[in-house]
Amino acid sequence: MNPLAQLVIYSTMIMGTLITSLSSHWFLAWAGLEMNMLAFTSILIKKANPRSTEAATKYFLMQSTASMILMMAITLNNLFPGQWIMMNNPNQLTSLIMMVALVMKLGMTPFHFWIPEVTQGTPLIPGLLLLTWQKLAPILIMYQIYPSINTNILMTLSTLSIMAGSWGGLNQTQLRKILAYSSITHMGWMMMTLVYNPNITAFYLLIYIIMTSTMFMALNLSSNTTTLMLSRAWNKLTWLMPLMSVTLLSMGGLPPLTGFLPKWITIQELTKNNNFIMPSVMIIMTLLNLYFYLRLIYITSMTLLPTSNNTKMKWQFENTKPTPLMSPLIVLTTLLLPMSPTILTMF
Amino acid sequence: MPIIYMNITLAFIISLLGMLIYRSHLMSSLLCLEGMMLSLFIMNTLMALNMHFPLANIMPIALLVFAACEAAVGLALLISISNTYGLDHIHNLNLLQC
Repeated sequence: MNPLAQLVIYSTMIMGTLITSLSSHWFLAWAGLEMNMLAFTSILIKKANPRSTEAATKYFLMQSTASMILMMAITLNNLFPGQWIMMNNPNQLTSLIMMVALVMKLGMTPFHFWIPEVTQGTPLIPGLLLLTWQKLAPILIMYQIYPSINTNILMTLSTLSIMAGSWGGLNQTQLRKILAYSSITHMGWMMMTLVYNPNITAFYLLIYIIMTSTMFMALNLSSNTTTLMLSRAWNKLTWLMPLMSVTLLSMGGLPPLTGFLPKWITIQELTKNNNFIMPSVMIIMTLLNLYFYLRLIYITSMTLLPTSNNTKMKWQFENTKPTPLMSPLIVLTTLLLPMSPTILTMF
Repeated sequence: MPIIYMNITLAFIISLLGMLIYRSHLMSSLLCLEGMMLSLFIMNTLMALNMHFPLANIMPIALLVFAACEAAVGLALLISISNTYGLDHIHNLNLLQC
Protein backbone atom coordinates (compact mmCIF):
# COMPACT_ATOMS: atom_id res chain seq x y z
CA MET A 1 0.00 0.00 0.00
CA ASN A 2 1.07 3.56 -0.63
CA PRO A 3 2.90 4.78 2.52
CA LEU A 4 0.94 8.02 2.68
CA ALA A 5 -2.35 6.16 2.40
CA GLN A 6 -1.14 3.76 5.07
CA LEU A 7 -0.30 6.66 7.37
CA VAL A 8 -3.74 8.21 6.92
CA ILE A 9 -5.59 4.91 7.38
CA TYR A 10 -3.70 3.78 10.47
CA SER A 11 -3.97 7.19 12.09
CA THR A 12 -7.72 7.26 11.37
CA MET A 13 -8.06 3.87 13.02
CA ILE A 14 -6.14 4.96 16.11
CA MET A 15 -7.95 8.30 16.21
CA GLY A 16 -11.34 6.57 16.06
CA THR A 17 -10.62 4.50 19.14
CA LEU A 18 -9.18 7.50 20.96
CA ILE A 19 -12.26 9.59 20.18
CA THR A 20 -14.53 6.83 21.46
CA SER A 21 -12.54 6.40 24.64
CA LEU A 22 -12.30 10.09 25.46
CA SER A 23 -15.88 11.10 24.80
CA SER A 24 -18.83 11.44 27.13
CA HIS A 25 -21.30 12.38 24.40
CA TRP A 26 -23.01 9.46 22.74
CA PHE A 27 -22.74 10.79 19.22
CA LEU A 28 -19.00 11.31 19.47
CA ALA A 29 -18.51 7.77 20.73
CA TRP A 30 -20.51 6.48 17.78
CA ALA A 31 -18.50 8.66 15.37
CA GLY A 32 -15.26 7.22 16.74
CA LEU A 33 -16.57 3.70 16.19
CA GLU A 34 -17.49 4.58 12.61
CA MET A 35 -14.06 6.05 11.85
CA ASN A 36 -12.45 2.97 13.29
CA MET A 37 -14.57 0.64 11.21
CA LEU A 38 -14.11 2.50 7.93
CA ALA A 39 -10.35 2.65 8.32
CA PHE A 40 -10.09 -0.96 9.39
CA THR A 41 -12.08 -2.21 6.39
CA SER A 42 -9.29 -0.79 4.24
CA ILE A 43 -6.59 -2.40 6.38
CA LEU A 44 -8.18 -5.80 5.89
CA ILE A 45 -7.52 -5.62 2.12
CA LYS A 46 -3.80 -5.07 2.58
CA LYS A 47 -3.07 -7.98 0.25
CA ALA A 48 -5.58 -7.82 -2.56
CA ASN A 49 -6.95 -11.30 -3.15
CA PRO A 50 -10.54 -12.62 -3.25
CA ARG A 51 -10.33 -13.92 0.32
CA SER A 52 -9.38 -10.49 1.65
CA THR A 53 -12.26 -8.86 -0.21
CA GLU A 54 -14.67 -11.40 1.17
CA ALA A 55 -13.30 -10.92 4.69
CA ALA A 56 -13.61 -7.14 4.39
CA THR A 57 -17.19 -7.42 3.08
CA LYS A 58 -18.26 -9.67 5.93
CA TYR A 59 -16.57 -7.40 8.46
CA PHE A 60 -18.16 -4.31 6.95
CA LEU A 61 -21.69 -5.74 6.83
CA MET A 62 -21.54 -6.97 10.40
CA GLN A 63 -20.04 -3.83 11.90
CA SER A 64 -22.23 -1.40 9.97
CA THR A 65 -25.37 -3.25 11.11
CA ALA A 66 -24.11 -3.03 14.69
CA SER A 67 -23.36 0.69 14.25
CA MET A 68 -26.86 1.38 12.99
CA ILE A 69 -28.44 -0.55 15.85
CA LEU A 70 -26.25 1.38 18.29
CA MET A 71 -27.32 4.67 16.72
CA MET A 72 -30.97 3.61 17.07
CA ALA A 73 -30.39 2.88 20.74
CA ILE A 74 -28.68 6.27 21.17
CA THR A 75 -31.58 8.06 19.45
CA LEU A 76 -34.18 6.22 21.54
CA ASN A 77 -32.10 7.00 24.59
CA ASN A 78 -32.39 10.67 23.80
CA LEU A 79 -36.18 10.42 23.92
CA PHE A 80 -36.42 9.31 27.51
CA PRO A 81 -34.04 11.36 29.65
CA GLY A 82 -33.58 13.92 26.85
CA GLN A 83 -29.82 14.20 27.15
CA TRP A 84 -26.81 12.96 25.27
CA ILE A 85 -24.28 12.35 28.06
CA MET A 86 -23.10 8.77 28.49
CA MET A 87 -24.39 7.86 31.89
CA ASN A 88 -26.03 4.72 33.07
CA ASN A 89 -29.51 5.11 31.73
CA PRO A 90 -32.30 3.47 33.73
CA ASN A 91 -34.30 2.67 30.61
CA GLN A 92 -34.11 -1.07 30.10
CA LEU A 93 -35.06 -1.12 26.43
CA THR A 94 -32.30 1.17 25.21
CA SER A 95 -29.75 -0.53 27.47
CA LEU A 96 -30.67 -3.85 25.91
CA ILE A 97 -30.39 -2.54 22.36
CA MET A 98 -27.04 -0.90 23.14
CA MET A 99 -25.72 -4.09 24.67
CA VAL A 100 -26.82 -6.12 21.65
CA ALA A 101 -25.11 -3.68 19.28
CA LEU A 102 -21.85 -3.71 21.28
CA VAL A 103 -21.92 -7.50 21.55
CA MET A 104 -22.29 -7.65 17.77
CA LYS A 105 -19.24 -5.42 17.43
CA LEU A 106 -17.19 -7.56 19.79
CA GLY A 107 -18.11 -10.85 18.25
CA MET A 108 -19.73 -12.71 21.11
CA THR A 109 -22.26 -15.45 20.63
CA PRO A 110 -24.79 -15.43 18.93
CA PHE A 111 -23.02 -12.95 16.64
CA HIS A 112 -19.67 -14.71 16.51
CA PHE A 113 -19.88 -16.36 13.11
CA TRP A 114 -17.98 -13.68 11.26
CA ILE A 115 -14.83 -13.70 13.41
CA PRO A 116 -13.17 -16.94 12.23
CA GLU A 117 -13.90 -16.16 8.60
CA VAL A 118 -12.67 -12.57 8.72
CA THR A 119 -9.54 -13.50 10.71
CA GLN A 120 -8.80 -16.22 8.19
CA GLY A 121 -9.13 -13.98 5.16
CA THR A 122 -6.52 -11.40 6.12
CA PRO A 123 -2.75 -11.58 6.63
CA LEU A 124 -1.49 -12.06 10.17
CA ILE A 125 -0.94 -8.45 11.22
CA PRO A 126 -4.40 -7.13 10.24
CA GLY A 127 -5.75 -10.25 11.94
CA LEU A 128 -3.88 -9.24 15.08
CA LEU A 129 -5.38 -5.74 14.90
CA LEU A 130 -8.84 -7.25 14.40
CA LEU A 131 -8.59 -9.34 17.55
CA THR A 132 -6.88 -6.80 19.79
CA TRP A 133 -7.29 -3.17 18.79
CA GLN A 134 -10.85 -3.45 17.51
CA LYS A 135 -12.01 -4.84 20.83
CA LEU A 136 -10.89 -1.75 22.71
CA ALA A 137 -13.55 0.75 21.62
CA PRO A 138 -16.69 -1.36 22.27
CA ILE A 139 -15.37 -2.57 25.62
CA LEU A 140 -14.61 1.01 26.62
CA ILE A 141 -18.20 1.97 25.88
CA MET A 142 -19.49 -1.01 27.84
CA TYR A 143 -17.22 0.01 30.72
CA GLN A 144 -19.02 3.36 30.82
CA ILE A 145 -22.56 1.99 30.76
CA TYR A 146 -22.02 -1.08 32.91
CA PRO A 147 -24.52 -0.40 35.73
CA SER A 148 -27.50 -0.46 33.40
CA ILE A 149 -26.69 -3.66 31.53
CA ASN A 150 -29.06 -6.55 32.09
CA THR A 151 -27.06 -9.04 34.17
CA ASN A 152 -28.83 -12.20 33.14
CA ILE A 153 -28.60 -11.61 29.42
CA LEU A 154 -24.94 -10.60 29.47
CA MET A 155 -23.96 -13.60 31.58
CA THR A 156 -25.93 -15.91 29.31
CA LEU A 157 -24.21 -14.48 26.24
CA SER A 158 -20.83 -14.82 27.93
CA THR A 159 -21.38 -18.46 28.82
CA LEU A 160 -22.60 -19.20 25.30
CA SER A 161 -19.52 -17.43 23.93
CA ILE A 162 -17.25 -19.63 25.99
CA MET A 163 -19.07 -22.71 24.77
CA ALA A 164 -19.08 -21.64 21.12
CA GLY A 165 -15.45 -20.56 21.19
CA SER A 166 -14.28 -23.78 22.81
CA TRP A 167 -16.28 -26.22 20.71
CA GLY A 168 -15.74 -24.30 17.50
CA GLY A 169 -11.98 -24.35 17.71
CA LEU A 170 -11.66 -28.09 18.05
CA ASN A 171 -11.83 -29.05 14.40
CA GLN A 172 -9.51 -26.37 13.01
CA THR A 173 -6.10 -26.65 11.42
CA GLN A 174 -5.80 -23.04 10.28
CA LEU A 175 -4.01 -21.11 13.00
CA ARG A 176 -5.84 -17.86 12.41
CA LYS A 177 -9.18 -19.58 12.92
CA ILE A 178 -7.88 -21.20 16.11
CA LEU A 179 -6.85 -17.81 17.44
CA ALA A 180 -10.23 -16.38 16.40
CA TYR A 181 -12.11 -19.02 18.39
CA SER A 182 -9.78 -18.43 21.32
CA SER A 183 -10.68 -14.75 21.06
CA ILE A 184 -14.40 -15.59 21.25
CA THR A 185 -13.77 -17.64 24.39
CA HIS A 186 -11.74 -14.89 26.05
CA MET A 187 -14.46 -12.35 25.23
CA GLY A 188 -16.89 -14.56 27.10
CA TRP A 189 -14.62 -14.61 30.15
CA MET A 190 -14.18 -10.85 29.97
CA MET A 191 -17.85 -10.00 29.91
CA MET A 192 -18.71 -12.22 32.84
CA THR A 193 -17.60 -9.75 35.49
CA LEU A 194 -18.62 -6.56 33.70
CA VAL A 195 -21.75 -6.12 35.79
CA TYR A 196 -19.93 -6.93 39.04
CA ASN A 197 -16.62 -5.13 38.67
CA PRO A 198 -15.68 -3.65 35.27
CA ASN A 199 -12.07 -3.13 36.31
CA ILE A 200 -11.59 -6.86 36.06
CA THR A 201 -12.87 -6.73 32.48
CA ALA A 202 -10.31 -4.04 31.68
CA PHE A 203 -7.55 -6.07 33.35
CA TYR A 204 -8.48 -9.24 31.46
CA LEU A 205 -8.51 -7.21 28.24
CA LEU A 206 -4.99 -5.97 28.89
CA ILE A 207 -3.60 -9.44 29.61
CA TYR A 208 -5.51 -10.86 26.63
CA ILE A 209 -4.04 -8.21 24.29
CA ILE A 210 -0.52 -9.01 25.52
CA MET A 211 -0.96 -12.77 25.03
CA THR A 212 -2.61 -12.53 21.63
CA SER A 213 0.00 -10.05 20.37
CA THR A 214 2.78 -12.40 21.44
CA MET A 215 1.14 -15.32 19.66
CA PHE A 216 0.52 -13.41 16.45
CA MET A 217 4.03 -12.00 16.37
CA ALA A 218 5.55 -15.41 16.92
CA LEU A 219 3.47 -16.74 14.02
CA ASN A 220 4.36 -13.76 11.87
CA LEU A 221 8.06 -14.31 12.50
CA SER A 222 7.94 -17.76 11.00
CA SER A 223 5.03 -16.69 8.74
CA ASN A 224 3.16 -19.93 9.24
CA THR A 225 -0.58 -19.96 9.18
CA THR A 226 -1.52 -23.63 9.26
CA THR A 227 -0.77 -26.42 11.68
CA LEU A 228 1.21 -28.21 8.99
CA MET A 229 3.50 -25.24 8.52
CA LEU A 230 3.85 -24.97 12.28
CA SER A 231 5.07 -28.56 12.42
CA ARG A 232 7.93 -27.72 10.08
CA ALA A 233 8.98 -24.57 11.92
CA TRP A 234 11.13 -26.27 14.53
CA ASN A 235 14.28 -26.02 12.49
CA LYS A 236 13.60 -22.60 11.04
CA LEU A 237 13.42 -20.84 14.38
CA THR A 238 14.36 -23.28 17.07
CA TRP A 239 14.28 -20.79 19.92
CA LEU A 240 10.73 -19.79 19.12
CA MET A 241 9.16 -23.20 19.64
CA PRO A 242 9.43 -23.46 23.43
CA LEU A 243 8.43 -19.81 23.74
CA MET A 244 5.37 -20.35 21.55
CA SER A 245 4.49 -23.40 23.63
CA VAL A 246 4.70 -21.41 26.84
CA THR A 247 2.60 -18.60 25.34
CA LEU A 248 -0.07 -21.11 24.35
CA LEU A 249 -0.08 -22.58 27.85
CA SER A 250 -0.44 -19.08 29.24
CA MET A 251 -3.42 -18.45 26.96
CA GLY A 252 -4.93 -21.66 28.26
CA GLY A 253 -4.72 -20.32 31.77
CA LEU A 254 -2.26 -22.61 33.51
CA PRO A 255 -0.99 -21.55 36.94
CA PRO A 256 2.59 -20.49 37.03
CA LEU A 257 2.01 -18.34 33.93
CA THR A 258 0.35 -14.97 33.47
CA GLY A 259 -2.80 -16.26 31.80
CA PHE A 260 -3.89 -17.80 35.08
CA LEU A 261 -4.16 -14.41 36.80
CA PRO A 262 -7.17 -12.90 34.99
CA LYS A 263 -9.10 -16.15 35.14
CA TRP A 264 -8.36 -16.46 38.85
CA ILE A 265 -9.53 -12.92 39.53
CA THR A 266 -12.69 -13.49 37.45
CA ILE A 267 -13.56 -16.64 39.38
CA GLN A 268 -12.84 -14.88 42.68
CA GLU A 269 -15.14 -12.02 41.76
CA LEU A 270 -17.92 -14.36 40.70
CA THR A 271 -17.69 -16.43 43.89
CA LYS A 272 -17.71 -13.26 45.98
CA ASN A 273 -21.14 -12.66 44.50
CA ASN A 274 -22.35 -16.15 45.45
CA ASN A 275 -22.19 -17.44 41.91
CA PHE A 276 -20.73 -20.94 41.96
CA ILE A 277 -22.25 -22.80 39.03
CA MET A 278 -21.14 -20.28 36.42
CA PRO A 279 -17.39 -20.47 37.13
CA SER A 280 -17.57 -24.28 37.16
CA VAL A 281 -19.27 -24.33 33.76
CA MET A 282 -16.84 -21.75 32.43
CA ILE A 283 -13.76 -23.64 33.57
CA ILE A 284 -14.96 -26.95 32.19
CA MET A 285 -15.73 -25.38 28.82
CA THR A 286 -12.37 -23.63 28.70
CA LEU A 287 -10.65 -26.97 29.06
CA LEU A 288 -11.59 -27.60 25.44
CA ASN A 289 -9.73 -24.40 24.59
CA LEU A 290 -6.71 -25.74 26.44
CA TYR A 291 -7.01 -28.96 24.48
CA PHE A 292 -6.52 -27.36 21.12
CA TYR A 293 -3.64 -25.26 22.44
CA LEU A 294 -2.01 -28.45 23.71
CA ARG A 295 -2.50 -29.99 20.29
CA LEU A 296 -0.51 -27.11 18.78
CA ILE A 297 2.21 -27.52 21.44
CA TYR A 298 2.36 -31.24 20.71
CA ILE A 299 2.83 -30.61 17.02
CA THR A 300 5.49 -27.94 17.42
CA SER A 301 7.63 -29.19 20.26
CA MET A 302 6.88 -32.77 21.14
CA THR A 303 6.64 -34.74 17.97
CA LEU A 304 8.07 -34.87 14.50
CA LEU A 305 5.43 -35.33 11.85
CA PRO A 306 6.40 -37.49 8.86
CA THR A 307 8.03 -35.23 6.30
CA SER A 308 10.45 -35.66 3.46
CA ASN A 309 14.10 -35.32 4.27
CA ASN A 310 14.71 -31.96 2.72
CA THR A 311 12.48 -30.22 5.22
CA LYS A 312 14.54 -31.54 8.12
CA MET A 313 17.68 -29.68 7.21
CA LYS A 314 17.11 -26.03 6.49
CA TRP A 315 19.58 -23.33 5.66
CA GLN A 316 19.49 -20.93 8.60
CA PHE A 317 18.81 -17.53 7.10
CA GLU A 318 18.91 -14.33 9.07
CA ASN A 319 15.56 -13.03 10.22
CA THR A 320 14.34 -9.99 8.30
CA LYS A 321 10.79 -9.59 9.56
CA PRO A 322 10.14 -6.66 11.88
CA THR A 323 9.23 -7.95 15.32
CA PRO A 324 8.66 -5.01 17.60
CA LEU A 325 8.50 -5.74 21.31
CA MET A 326 8.89 -9.49 20.92
CA SER A 327 11.06 -10.03 24.00
CA PRO A 328 9.08 -7.86 26.43
CA LEU A 329 5.82 -9.41 25.24
CA ILE A 330 7.09 -12.94 25.82
CA VAL A 331 8.31 -12.00 29.28
CA LEU A 332 4.95 -10.41 30.08
CA THR A 333 2.99 -13.42 28.87
CA THR A 334 4.86 -15.84 31.07
CA LEU A 335 6.33 -14.24 34.11
CA LEU A 336 3.78 -11.77 35.40
CA LEU A 337 2.03 -13.94 37.98
CA PRO A 338 4.39 -13.37 40.96
CA MET A 339 3.80 -9.65 40.56
CA SER A 340 0.04 -9.96 40.81
CA PRO A 341 -0.44 -7.94 44.03
CA THR A 342 1.37 -5.00 42.42
CA ILE A 343 -0.68 -5.25 39.26
CA LEU A 344 -3.98 -5.57 41.07
CA THR A 345 -3.42 -2.36 42.97
CA MET A 346 -3.73 -0.61 39.64
CA PHE A 347 -7.16 -2.07 38.88
CA MET B 1 -44.08 9.05 23.57
CA PRO B 2 -45.88 10.30 20.48
CA ILE B 3 -46.92 7.74 17.91
CA ILE B 4 -44.65 9.18 15.23
CA TYR B 5 -41.55 7.80 16.97
CA MET B 6 -43.14 4.36 16.98
CA ASN B 7 -43.77 4.71 13.25
CA ILE B 8 -40.17 5.57 12.49
CA THR B 9 -38.91 2.81 14.79
CA LEU B 10 -41.05 0.43 12.77
CA ALA B 11 -39.41 1.72 9.57
CA PHE B 12 -36.01 1.07 11.16
CA ILE B 13 -36.97 -2.45 12.19
CA ILE B 14 -38.24 -3.27 8.72
CA SER B 15 -34.98 -2.04 7.17
CA LEU B 16 -32.99 -4.02 9.72
CA LEU B 17 -34.92 -7.16 8.87
CA GLY B 18 -34.36 -6.45 5.20
CA MET B 19 -30.64 -6.26 5.86
CA LEU B 20 -30.50 -9.49 7.81
CA ILE B 21 -32.86 -11.57 5.68
CA TYR B 22 -31.65 -11.40 2.12
CA ARG B 23 -32.35 -13.43 -0.98
CA SER B 24 -29.33 -13.28 -3.22
CA HIS B 25 -27.95 -9.82 -3.83
CA LEU B 26 -25.47 -7.93 -1.69
CA MET B 27 -26.87 -4.70 -3.11
CA SER B 28 -30.18 -5.16 -1.30
CA SER B 29 -28.35 -5.40 2.03
CA LEU B 30 -26.55 -2.14 1.28
CA LEU B 31 -29.85 -0.51 0.33
CA CYS B 32 -31.39 -1.60 3.63
CA LEU B 33 -28.36 -0.14 5.40
CA GLU B 34 -29.21 3.18 3.77
CA GLY B 35 -32.84 2.69 4.76
CA MET B 36 -31.82 2.31 8.39
CA MET B 37 -29.76 5.46 8.15
CA LEU B 38 -32.68 7.34 6.62
CA SER B 39 -35.09 6.39 9.38
CA LEU B 40 -32.49 7.40 11.98
CA PHE B 41 -32.03 10.73 10.20
CA ILE B 42 -35.75 11.45 10.29
CA MET B 43 -35.95 10.47 13.94
CA ASN B 44 -33.04 12.70 14.90
CA THR B 45 -34.49 15.65 12.98
CA LEU B 46 -37.86 15.19 14.68
CA MET B 47 -36.25 15.08 18.09
CA ALA B 48 -34.06 18.11 17.49
CA LEU B 49 -37.13 20.08 16.39
CA ASN B 50 -39.63 18.82 18.97
CA MET B 51 -37.37 19.40 21.93
CA HIS B 52 -36.60 22.95 20.76
CA PHE B 53 -32.90 22.28 21.01
CA PRO B 54 -31.25 24.19 18.11
CA LEU B 55 -27.80 22.94 19.03
CA ALA B 56 -28.84 19.45 18.04
CA ASN B 57 -29.66 20.54 14.49
CA ILE B 58 -26.15 19.52 13.43
CA MET B 59 -26.73 15.97 14.58
CA PRO B 60 -28.74 14.62 11.60
CA ILE B 61 -26.32 16.25 9.15
CA ALA B 62 -23.29 14.74 10.85
CA LEU B 63 -25.08 11.37 10.89
CA LEU B 64 -25.63 11.78 7.15
CA VAL B 65 -21.90 12.38 6.62
CA PHE B 66 -20.90 9.18 8.35
CA ALA B 67 -23.59 7.14 6.64
CA ALA B 68 -22.52 8.46 3.24
CA CYS B 69 -18.92 7.38 3.93
CA GLU B 70 -20.18 3.96 4.94
CA ALA B 71 -22.24 3.68 1.77
CA ALA B 72 -19.21 4.57 -0.31
CA VAL B 73 -17.07 1.91 1.34
CA GLY B 74 -19.89 -0.62 0.93
CA LEU B 75 -20.19 0.15 -2.75
CA ALA B 76 -16.44 -0.12 -3.23
CA LEU B 77 -16.52 -3.58 -1.65
CA LEU B 78 -19.47 -4.51 -3.85
CA ILE B 79 -17.48 -3.54 -6.93
CA SER B 80 -14.48 -5.56 -5.69
CA ILE B 81 -16.67 -8.62 -5.32
CA SER B 82 -18.23 -7.98 -8.71
CA ASN B 83 -14.75 -7.93 -10.22
CA THR B 84 -14.07 -11.41 -8.91
CA TYR B 85 -17.36 -13.13 -9.49
CA GLY B 86 -19.24 -11.08 -12.07
CA LEU B 87 -22.35 -10.90 -9.87
CA ASP B 88 -22.97 -9.80 -6.33
CA HIS B 89 -24.72 -12.90 -5.07
CA ILE B 90 -23.99 -13.44 -1.41
CA HIS B 91 -23.79 -17.21 -1.72
CA ASN B 92 -20.67 -16.69 -3.82
CA LEU B 93 -18.82 -15.59 -0.69
CA ASN B 94 -17.90 -19.07 0.44
CA LEU B 95 -14.12 -19.10 0.20
CA LEU B 96 -13.48 -18.75 3.90
CA GLN B 97 -15.67 -21.47 5.30
CA CYS B 98 -14.10 -24.06 7.54
